[in-house]
Amino acid sequence: MEIGYGQDREQRMLRDRVQARWTSTYSPVRHLDPVLVLTALALTGIGLVAIYSAKLVALSSQDLPTTFYVTRQLIALAIGVIAMVLTAIVDYRQVRIYAPALYGIGLILLILTLTPLGTEINGSQRWIVIGGFQLQPSELVKLSVLVTIAALLHESKGAPHIGHVGLSLLLTLVPTGLVFLQPDLGTSLVFIWGTAVLFLIGGVQARYLVGLVVGGVGAVIVGWQQGLVAEYQLSRLTAFLDAADATAAQTAAFQTRQSLIAIGSGQFAGKGLFEGTQTSLSYVPENHTDFIFTVIGEEFGFLGASVVLGLYLVLVWRGLRIAILSKDMFGTLVASGIVAILTLQVFVNVGMTIGLMPVTGLPLPFISYGGTSLIVWFAMIGLLLNVHMRRF
Amino acid sequence: MVSPSSDASPVLRLTFLAVLVIALFLALFARLWFLQVLTGDRYVELADSNRLRTVVSEAPRGAILAADGEELVRNRPALAISADRQVLLDDAGDPRDEEAERVIARLGELLDLDTDEVINRLSSQRRSPFRPVPIETDVSQEVVFTVREQQELFTGVETETLPVREYPQQTLASHLIGYVGEISQEELLNPDFTDYLGGDLVGRSGLEQSYESQLRGTPGRRLLVVNARENVLDVQSDRAPIPGNDLVTTLDLDLQEATEQLLEEGIVSSRDIQRDDGRFLPSVAGSAVALDARTGAVLSMASYPDYDPREFLGGLSQDYADFLFEPESYQPLVNRAIAGEYPPGSVFKTASGAAMIEAGQIGPRGTRDCDAEFEVGGVTFRNWNRGVNEGPMDLADALKRSCDTYFYTLAYDTWQQEQAQDDPEEALIEVGERFGFGRSLDLDLPGELDGRLPGRAWRQAYWEANRERWCEQADAAPEGSVERELLSDNCQFGGAWRGGDAVNSSIGQGDVLSTPLQVAASYQAVANDGVLMRPHVGDRIVGPDGEVVEEIEPEALGDLGIDDQVLAVMREGLEDVLMDASGTGESAFDGFPLGEIPVAGKTGTAEAGPRVPYSWFVAYAPADDPEIVVAVNVEQGGGGSQTAAPIVRNILEHHFGITAAEDAEFEAGDEILD
Repeated sequence: MEIGYGQDREQRMLRDRVQARWTSTYSPVRHLDPVLVLTALALTGIGLVAIYSAKLVALSSQDLPTTFYVTRQLIALAIGVIAMVLTAIVDYRQVRIYAPALYGIGLILLILTLTPLGTEINGSQRWIVIGGFQLQPSELVKLSVLVTIAALLHESKGAPHIGHVGLSLLLTLVPTGLVFLQPDLGTSLVFIWGTAVLFLIGGVQARYLVGLVVGGVGAVIVGWQQGLVAEYQLSRLTAFLDAADATAAQTAAFQTRQSLIAIGSGQFAGKGLFEGTQTSLSYVPENHTDFIFTVIGEEFGFLGASVVLGLYLVLVWRGLRIAILSKDMFGTLVASGIVAILTLQVFVNVGMTIGLMPVTGLPLPFISYGGTSLIVWFAMIGLLLNVHMRRF
Repeated sequence: MVSPSSDASPVLRLTFLAVLVIALFLALFARLWFLQVLTGDRYVELADSNRLRTVVSEAPRGAILAADGEELVRNRPALAISADRQVLLDDAGDPRDEEAERVIARLGELLDLDTDEVINRLSSQRRSPFRPVPIETDVSQEVVFTVREQQELFTGVETETLPVREYPQQTLASHLIGYVGEISQEELLNPDFTDYLGGDLVGRSGLEQSYESQLRGTPGRRLLVVNARENVLDVQSDRAPIPGNDLVTTLDLDLQEATEQLLEEGIVSSRDIQRDDGRFLPSVAGSAVALDARTGAVLSMASYPDYDPREFLGGLSQDYADFLFEPESYQPLVNRAIAGEYPPGSVFKTASGAAMIEAGQIGPRGTRDCDAEFEVGGVTFRNWNRGVNEGPMDLADALKRSCDTYFYTLAYDTWQQEQAQDDPEEALIEVGERFGFGRSLDLDLPGELDGRLPGRAWRQAYWEANRERWCEQADAAPEGSVERELLSDNCQFGGAWRGGDAVNSSIGQGDVLSTPLQVAASYQAVANDGVLMRPHVGDRIVGPDGEVVEEIEPEALGDLGIDDQVLAVMREGLEDVLMDASGTGESAFDGFPLGEIPVAGKTGTAEAGPRVPYSWFVAYAPADDPEIVVAVNVEQGGGGSQTAAPIVRNILEHHFGITAAEDAEFEAGDEILD
């Protein structure tokens, strides 16, 4: 007599039910991280308000619609959410396979940026204009380099040998160099930092790490002496040191000084939405992009600034949790790399507005006006969700 | 999950990353707390100074008027070319860019100035950064049109109308009015000038200075909200300038003119007088004061030589500055009537006579012999009349004849009496101060000097301050010389107030010093039944709307504190000076209708070392019901009746309508008459 599960209808149904329950329990869709997504959306919302406030007076005095920048940012948000869904749906382990392709595409875009196809703004060639939209390839490459290095280190199963380290270094330095040529010192530092953190998490031995740091510092010193860093970059880097010198207005220190005044004058509770004089009277240049934190600091004070930094800490917390819970090295690396890049950008950007860090052109994630950046950050959230959903 | 147990486990390394991340965030929080909470106040101020601009508009300065309402100084609108420093110059004071350079060059050509001079004026640190800097004032209409019609060639250049001080009476009363000048760097730092800005005008002397707070007005102030490109977005507050108040003075315009003219003519004509010793009178300088005998109001005041206040407008020229400060000019800027300190000589005898009576040495009718000389400690003090005993005299006679020995003997007796006391109250100082000597009279003009009433304390302090020098000089002098003897005496005993000092002081010589104003005031008190009034030039403050803001009431400074009988005898003596045939001032008033207008007065011939004496005369009239007191001093003008008395006489003749100033003649009295 043949007794099998398939024969006994009751048993088969029972088994199906159990299976179904387990399947649904472990179904990726049931393991989204709502905190992560809501926090990212909250930061974006704050960003939209800050962008609106930053440009309100300037736009109305030019008779332009006051929602000019906000509308464009909302479009980017919509694309960002789609990007998040897409990066969440595809199993991240598949991404590992496509990493070389992603890397290649990024590299080509970076090279194109430096050709006459690229657009120069403020002395820096960072954009490619496609159909009226400005694409900033370096933001995309941030993601592709991260995924590529993570994939590479995943192969070495927590004990990368020298060859993998060398290859990772090469794969990082090529786009870093291309971005540096734009010139965009901030973003190239992000690449190096990202790879350094991946080396740390990926199990690269301590002596290699030390060697790399020493080598890196040496390279910077040589680069400095050889004049590889442009004059304007040098002056921007050192300007924050003498921000208190009033006579240095019109020079690079002007930006930092005005930024300090804006944030400092916000005091504990802020001047109130649309009440920031530094903001509305355009004393802080670029206060809808790189210096958007001055709007938050001036109009919402220490309280508002703390809320924003707190939201970033929530992202960091969720990101690190995902890194720990990940079932494979690749997931851990991708999640911790995203956390590392997020932290660096927040620290460098906010730090530059409050005189802790030199002025470099890094956007504040989710908040600064800038479509590519916003889309890429939502894609990164998507990747985090992806790792989180498939942690079993 | 991968090998959680290994040293290099991802969990350990992730913890490391987490710590790093938290450290970075903590740094941000700490810095934000510092910026926004601990030092936020400072940044609020900086944000305000960023966005707010103050634009100042000058308030027209008040006018100064004579008692009859005639303007002595007023404002006149003047066309000026100004430029915005911030548009044309950078922080280093160089042209901001090529366009600015071209504008400055065009401006220089238009105003006929060097490019450097334009930049110089533009960058003057005394100018406020909050308003355009005047490059040239009083430019022609054509210049203004040139700028206005081609404004595009003159970026940052503006044409404006500025109020400029104007003197409708020319140099009249220049010492009283004073002048205005731009505020200095030091003054800007002075707390008294907190609401002043660079480039503001401030009263530098005279009434312009003493009534500065009333005349100045309140500058208009507009607080503008500007953006980073200095575009004006809003006017936060707007305060219109409030014009300064006018000052109506007590000055009698007609008498002031006459006083100035007569003082100068009297001084100049006296230079033709030849002294007995063959020298012509130098009469280098002089001053005159006329007071209202009842109120102390200054009716006129003149100081010779004088200066032209118009020269101070828009900066003093080098030539004029040289003239003002060279020694031959005899300091035209000094108002000698209040800032000239001279030995008063015999005009002091009213005060010293009252002091001897107060000291109990003599009664008002008591007499002393008017001997030819008086000897104290081996030194002979002579009477001015050179060798005749004029017989016994009371106070009235002594004043009439200006008898020195009458005062010498009384002063010596007083001195002896005081020497006998432990802590003597010095009668001459006590009474002298009541007469207005040796102290400020609180006149409403700056620069009034105190004069000096010397006595024991003063001598002691003076000796202590100079002893060392005197002793060194004594040691350096040749052995056995008179000079050495004198100096070593000074060195050892210079602190002693001796009989000779007291004797000298009693006739207004020695170390006594007084200003012509003090002399006039002391006779004003005698004429005013013993009440010394505060001399004043300001009569009332009138607002821009014509309303009287403040009345400056006559104010008693004090009482002479002497018996009515003493006062009566004193006035009798002073009347006799002019109206008795033997009075020292009689010859100078020969032909004056004394029957209608009796005049009382006193001559003074103050010795000042080897120089020709200083000539004094002071008078009040009518003697029976005084309305005016006039005092005149002429430096090196010889005898009192010789130079000063004719000037006083002419001023009185003008005042009482006897002879107009234009027809004045100067009949000098006898030289030797003191």
